[in-house]
Amino acid sequence: MTRIIVITSGKGGVGKTTCSANLGMALAKMGRQVALVDADFGLRNLDLLLGLENRIVYTAVEVLARECRLEQALVKDKRQPNLVLLPAAQNRTKDAVSPDQIKLLVNALAQKYQYVIIDSPAGIEMGFKNAIAPAKEALVVTTPEIASVRDADRVVGLLEAQGIKRIHLIINRIKPAMVRANDMMSVQDVQELLAIPLIGVIPDDERVIVSTNRGEPLVLSENPCIAATAFENIARRLEGEAVDFIEIEAYQDNIFSRLRRILWTKII
Amino acid sequence: MNSDAAIPNQKANSAGFEIESTFPQTDVGGDSTAIQSETDSVLPEAELNSVIVYLKSISRSTDLEFKDVVADVQSPVVSNTSSHSSLFDLDLPELPLSEKTLDKIQIQIKTEEGRIVLILPAESQLPACESNWSQMWQQFKLQLNSSDRLMVKANTPVHLVAGDRLLDTRQLQELAHILGEMHMQLKSLSTSRRQTAIAAATMGYSVEQVGRENILHFQSQQTKSSPTEALYLEKTVRSGMEIRHSGSVIILGDLNPGGTVIADGDILVWGRLRGIAHAGAAGNRKCLIMALQMEPTQLRIADAVARAPEKSLMQFYPEVAYVTPQGIRIARAIDFSKSQLNKINQQPYGSIVK
Repeated sequence: MTRIIVITSGKGGVGKTTCSANLGMALAKMGRQVALVDADFGLRNLDLLLGLENRIVYTAVEVLARECRLEQALVKDKRQPNLVLLPAAQNRTKDAVSPDQIKLLVNALAQKYQYVIIDSPAGIEMGFKNAIAPAKEALVVTTPEIASVRDADRVVGLLEAQGIKRIHLIINRIKPAMVRANDMMSVQDVQELLAIPLIGVIPDDERVIVSTNRGEPLVLSENPCIAATAFENIARRLEGEAVDFIEIEAYQDNIFSRLRRILWTKII
Repeated sequence: MNSDAAIPNQKANSAGFEIESTFPQTDVGGDSTAIQSETDSVLPEAELNSVIVYLKSISRSTDLEFKDVVADVQSPVVSNTSSHSSLFDLDLPELPLSEKTLDKIQIQIKTEEGRIVLILPAESQLPACESNWSQMWQQFKLQLNSSDRLMVKANTPVHLVAGDRLLDTRQLQELAHILGEMHMQLKSLSTSRRQTAIAAATMGYSVEQVGRENILHFQSQQTKSSPTEALYLEKTVRSGMEIRHSGSVIILGDLNPGGTVIADGDILVWGRLRGIAHAGAAGNRKCLIMALQMEPTQLRIADAVARAPEKSLMQFYPEVAYVTPQGIRIARAIDFSKSQLNKINQQPYGSIVK
């Protein structure tokens, strides 16, 4: 049974595409056949994050116009043969395709791949409707900010109305230090409001930006950072494994922070 | 308090207010006494400003009327030594009453004699177009999903009252499909439209065609007869959702910020109330809003509005919001049932705003 998962958020810039790229890659690394579908027509980014931009010949729009076969449009990843990308057209807008057409494409992909991951655009308009139309489950990405959580809440409502029952939450870009200082919403705060099961927490990490710019998903790097581990854990949880949530605190517990803490306690 | 500063502000804004007004009902010209009673609570100037801007945006439909408000605001401010224990720092009366038709946008669900009756809104209430149609069904699905535990025995027959609404085969199929998912079976249908009757008959439903007058009669009978059943929802009302109901609403779950519940009766949230709740939307000031944890964006009862204090509360108790002549007040549920309930029930009928 193919898992068709949409990654969405409502608000822009919270890390949907980063999550899509890394989860897709992590699942592929685990030996799954993964197809990533970029549903962000007109503002495609997923190819950049995967470093596949220069390999795109055909896009989803050409497939739908029957100018090429679906296989021709799929971009294979050199590093990870289990992963393919169905790119979106850059020269069109979201209205270029309809939910039924996306369904058609995704169902065709579902014949061959074990995971179809759809990267949804921001907003709740046509592009979003296209992206969620074929999905059987959803991952809602949010950052611990009030605007992003509010939008996520709206999106969860829309997903439920669409009949998507399996909805999981990814909290992205959390800063443990700020949470500790009570300057940021904690994981509990967000979870309490959204009332959907949590599947992963990804700490804020500068290496995410580096990897994005290089077009190399974090999970591929040699010495994985904590964010990469978090992505891998989400992939494993998607597979049904029970993985403990990483102690984000522990990773920061190097000599300096320990020293600082001692100093602080002395001062106070 | 100096309210001069407030006036230019109003004037400056007054030109655009009709467009700004996001509140759907603008029909009621509120009485100015309500505002006067408002100004005597202890408001900082900025607050007053916002009150005025708010009032203007929701309730006034002509500049002429609007001048009344200005005059009222200028009137001297008397400090209010009310003994009410209010958790709210601001009460804004003067909310326009909702139009009677508002709640009818929804499909009504009723249970009678072992069958479920669905009543579609008449075309005069909700013009037929694709967007209205899909919106209506989305709400309907939500409604079904969130209260199915109580309603449905497997394969309950459903009777659809389509009224003067035109339904084609595709729409009927869609409906049958939705109902099928909920283990309900569309069995029969009554309509005044010939096309609908034909479509339904070809699909094998038993059809009852009624004249237009009968439909009207049927509907007026319904509106007059007993108040609507309470709507029981077992779900989180999320941002962007708006629940409208012509009776009381009970929510087993949270009302999240950005979500709205508008009921002609009481609102009871067995969970956290963090969004907007509007009880007694048709004008009944006796209506109540109850919640296990009261942290609303805004509370409205009939034509009164209140919003939560700026700083968030640390402790929460089950609470009840009710209307006093001074505006909306909140009491702990345990205290409320002892004291206020009797008081409210004893109020002479004449004082209720209709």
